[in-house]
Amino acid sequence: MAETQEELDQEMLAQSASGDQRAFARLYDRLSGPLYSLALRMLGDASEAQDALQDVFLQIWRRAAKYDSAQSSVFSWAMLMARSRVIDRLRARGRRLRVLVSSSDDDPNGPMADASVAESATDTINRNDEAMRVRTMLNKLPAEQRQAIELAFFSDLTHHEIAAQLSQPLGTIKARIRRGLLNLRERGVR
Amino acid sequence: MITDDLQDQAALFVLGALNPEENATFEKMLAADPELRAMVRELREAAADLGGSVPAHEPPADLKRRVLREIALEKQTGIARGSTTPSFSSWMPWAAAALFLISCGILAVDRMRLQRELAEARATDPLSQATLVTLGSPNGEHPDAKVTIAWQPDRQSGVININKMPPAGPGRDYQLWAVDANHKDPINAGIVHVDSNGVAHIRFKPDQEVTQIRAFAISLEREGGVPKREGPIVMIGNA
Repeated sequence: MAETQEELDQEMLAQSASGDQRAFARLYDRLSGPLYSLALRMLGDASEAQDALQDVFLQIWRRAAKYDSAQSSVFSWAMLMARSRVIDRLRARGRRLRVLVSSSDDDPNGPMADASVAESATDTINRNDEAMRVRTMLNKLPAEQRQAIELAFFSDLTHHEIAAQLSQPLGTIKARIRRGLLNLRERGVR
Repeated sequence: MITDDLQDQAALFVLGALNPEENATFEKMLAADPELRAMVRELREAAADLGGSVPAHEPPADLKRRVLREIALEKQTGIARGSTTPSFSSWMPWAAAALFLISCGILAVDRMRLQRELAEARATDPLSQATLVTLGSPNGEHPDAKVTIAWQPDRQSGVININKMPPAGPGRDYQLWAVDANHKDPINAGIVHVDSNGVAHIRFKPDQEVTQIRAFAISLEREGGVPKREGPIVMIGNA
């Protein structure tokens, strides 16, 4: 009997891998909000974010049997898969996303909060709490690390392009990305 | 002990920022080093947390239904995959390419089986009124590639599944076309991106109404695609 959220996630994914569409529907309920929020943030377009989310969940369905818990949690596996698909889309349309480097610019009630996007209030509030917690951790990172990892994660820029954009040597950017991620982890995010 | 340089590589690996050569080298090291694997797992979790740091939004309620419907449809596509091929049509010149494909014996025709499977699938799922199309390489350039399309005329959209297709290459994109009996030119159905494993699973929607589908084709075009086909047809199949 699964007890933790991660165990529940793994159970739902394993059942999905064996063709259980009800389990997959529950997994959708669990993951669709965070994955859609990421896609919306990166693509800046609700319609395209919905298409991306659909692609990601089809990919999750197809690859469920290949999931390896030794490599990542189910949440991380899905989140990084979603990011990868969104970046494919960004690159495909040749768009360069203008990333808001300053975390304080993120406004849940801003333009992203499209009225056409139906919201489940309770889930959204809970996730906003979690998002706020991570952003607090982010804000405690040295600014140059936060800037580097946000650019590396939320945009489709390569590390070479990030180095050029920030006018820093490539090695410096690589080190900032690495240190930023490690610091984030050490500061107890999840 | 993991060096700073290797840690840098690990962070870029997690973010998918290594080039293919670097990626392959890193994966070899990863396979041989449990300490490095543990670190990569930690970095993955940290990166995923970043993704979870954005303001929360909920997708529209009907998206879940769309996703579940796609899965049901895909199950049917999976049944037919590898067992069917397009039939000959007199539509020219696209059909000529398909005729060449068939005459070369690249794929075996089993139309009756496809129709039987489709009928069974439709009987079990009234939501799915899909036409299944298998594409093949007209010039034998991609003999291992498997491309299947499930086309839903009522929704004017479809799903394309691709396996073992080489990437389009730098500065190039594959582009999907719907050949309609009532349109002079093939209708653009969008760019098809094949990943490094030769796989693509994409929902597509042609940019004009398809009233009488004759065939689907994939051409190799310049990056970003073209409004009217310019490049060579690399895969084609009759509906």
